[in-house]
Amino acid sequence: MLMDNNQKRFVEDALDLLNELDEGLLQLEANPQATAPLEQVFRTMHTIKGGANMFGFENIGELAHHLETLYDLVRQGNMQVSDGLISITLHAFDKVRDLLKEKDATKIANADELKDHLKMAIAFLKSAETESMKVAQASVQPISKKDQLATFFFRISPTVNMTIDGNHPLVFIIQDLEAVGTARTFCYKKSDGNIAHWDVYLSTTTAQAEIESYFLFVENECHVSCTMLLACDLFGSAEFKKFIEEFKDTPTDSGELIAFVQMIASNFNNQAATEDDLADAEPTRKKSYNDTFIKVSKRKIDDLLNWISELIILQAQLVNVTSSVNSPEITEVTEQLEHVTNSLRDTSLEIGLVPVETLVTKFKRLVRDLSKNLNKKVNFLSEGAETEMDKDVIELMTEPMIHIIRNCIDHGIETPEERRQAGKTEHGTVKLKAFNTSSYVNIVISDDGKGIDKDKVLAKAIEKGLVAPDAVLSEEETLSLIFHPGLSTASAISDVSGRGVGMDVVKQKINDLRGYVTIKSTQGKGTSIHIKLPLSRSIIEGLLVKVEETRYVVPLNVIDRIDRISYDELDRGNQVNKMVVVNEETLSVFSLRQKFHGETAVPKTTDIISVTVNGIRKGIAVDRIEGKMQTVMKPLGDAYQQQDFIAGSTILGDGSLALVLDPSRLFQLSDN
Amino acid sequence: MKKTILVVDDFASIRDFVCETLQRKGYETLGAANGNQAYQMLSDKPEVNLVLTDYNMPECTGFELLKKIKANPEIAKVPVVFLTTESSPDKMRAAKEAGLCAWIKKPYRAETFFAQIENAIVNG
Repeated sequence: MLMDNNQKRFVEDALDLLNELDEGLLQLEANPQATAPLEQVFRTMHTIKGGANMFGFENIGELAHHLETLYDLVRQGNMQVSDGLISITLHAFDKVRDLLKEKDATKIANADELKDHLKMAIAFLKSAETESMKVAQASVQPISKKDQLATFFFRISPTVNMTIDGNHPLVFIIQDLEAVGTARTFCYKKSDGNIAHWDVYLSTTTAQAEIESYFLFVENECHVSCTMLLACDLFGSAEFKKFIEEFKDTPTDSGELIAFVQMIASNFNNQAATEDDLADAEPTRKKSYNDTFIKVSKRKIDDLLNWISELIILQAQLVNVTSSVNSPEITEVTEQLEHVTNSLRDTSLEIGLVPVETLVTKFKRLVRDLSKNLNKKVNFLSEGAETEMDKDVIELMTEPMIHIIRNCIDHGIETPEERRQAGKTEHGTVKLKAFNTSSYVNIVISDDGKGIDKDKVLAKAIEKGLVAPDAVLSEEETLSLIFHPGLSTASAISDVSGRGVGMDVVKQKINDLRGYVTIKSTQGKGTSIHIKLPLSRSIIEGLLVKVEETRYVVPLNVIDRIDRISYDELDRGNQVNKMVVVNEETLSVFSLRQKFHGETAVPKTTDIISVTVNGIRKGIAVDRIEGKMQTVMKPLGDAYQQQDFIAGSTILGDGSLALVLDPSRLFQLSDN
Repeated sequence: MKKTILVVDDFASIRDFVCETLQRKGYETLGAANGNQAYQMLSDKPEVNLVLTDYNMPECTGFELLKKIKANPEIAKVPVVFLTTESSPDKMRAAKEAGLCAWIKKPYRAETFFAQIENAIVNG
């Protein structure tokens, strides 16, 4: 069904409003305490709701209604503006925006399209209500009352003459009343044809006060009595229906009615309970909402993780202590404990993870606004937005990623004319792809713009004295110059990306998170920046190794294989870096002993741990491998901040300390 | 003589839609985008028969407009009707006490809508 002109005009207006709403929401996110953007957001949603309902898009109206309720809670001071709130709102209205771009009114009005967002909004409302009830105690009327299904009995007696086919508003108000739920109406007439009174049985989720307000503006022309019969849908009871039909010729005596209802109430409740047991659709759905989202304060999660990390240490201690006791019973218990601890660790880690999607929304707007500012046409695509990441990491990475995207649009994507001349489509594309590999989250931000001019970068680096004029650099090395502090993009002055953080800061932030960043660029084709971040910041699985009396932990996720060779093979010419043949391949090996320890009391054999970092396989030589362990990494003090090949430390089962190595930085150390 | 209704809504598509609907029923219509504008128009044209206004609007809300109208003896007699998605009983009661004639909820059913409007114009 095509839209009529009114609907078309509504859609145009609504799209404008949605843009205003976006801006308001973003402002609100930046200043959660500010009232002006809050009021604007609330009002805009309200207007969208009104319009949508008016023009037959009840699905949009309903969604806007629930979201509006949330912001009303904020207005009343019963809820705080949170990332979650802003996100579900932005997502919901993004979907509305997409829907409104449909040409077909039936499609727009398709309730299914907004179902998920509606669920989310309702779930959020539920959790917020619980919160606000806690906060506000009994002083605020709980909104949940609204959702309570109840059956009411109304007797409406006009005090002025009116007929059923007359034009008195009351006649229509009765009809409106019937429309808020399941209703059965009996109209009793006087002998002159005027209405004596109406009896209306209504089961609805609308609150009594709201229903009564329907009659507010006709209260001088009628008497209304409203009785709540029972907090359930009495129309579900055959007895009740029979009862009210039997009395249709003689007006029901309300006392008699209430007595009857009380009589059947007990029966009916039992029946309702049975129906519940039989997986009644409605309650089940509500339950699952509650399961989907629970708001928990970050502090509690941090506490939980902290305790679990202590548990992991204790578990390791237990294994250590009992290893000397040769008892199958104890071994069985410790193994089971290890299993449970592992599951507990995995589950608890997931609690703190949130989908990258929250970032995507931010970036969408960034791309839209920036491209408009720069008169460029840019599409933003995202892939794998459901990939989960540590919330703290997301927060720390937001700024750097914004910077990268800014660069993409400002320096990467060409103007529409340039693109046409280069034989490309006018619209450039910036793409964000997120995915998991082992215990890493990968984020690739790419554009199909003009790419990085490597000669220019190199020339600038030489000019600034960062690189010797005769140096021969690989493509990768040249591109990584972009991250050099002395070659910040600030030199490419622009309104957009010359400010704020430079690429060196981006790199620093990623380093701080023990992540990696690589850059690839093809001139004329585009640039892609690959960021790899560890999934968890605190708990790692590792291999415990020993060199002299010092213990190290090598993260398990980078280890390919372990070989034991005789120490003599390694110890040639007193060199730290060696090429050793392992598994019929030559491997560049870094010896911890030679680098950090002495050559005294050398062991007979050495264990070579083959590690792949950034696509290159190298070996780490240690005296002895002690075993696999999961460990909680604790940061080292400031004194060790410069030793970035040590990612942190950990406490072992026997109470001693081990250093957690960062293999990639270890190799950088050996390369220099 | 045709009755004139002043339609106040900040959302242009709704305002136009309501105006057109009323025109088809034989009413003259005027449009205003907010309470201040409406009040200005009403002061210039006190012969308006009814003000049909939204509740939530920027600058001057429907409720503020209602109070302003009722406070000005020249135009206090013009009946005011709210057409709104707002449904708070407290707000409705407050508006009634301030002299509001009728409260029509969006989305309305055409029959209720016209019955309420006609009733408001006749009985003021």
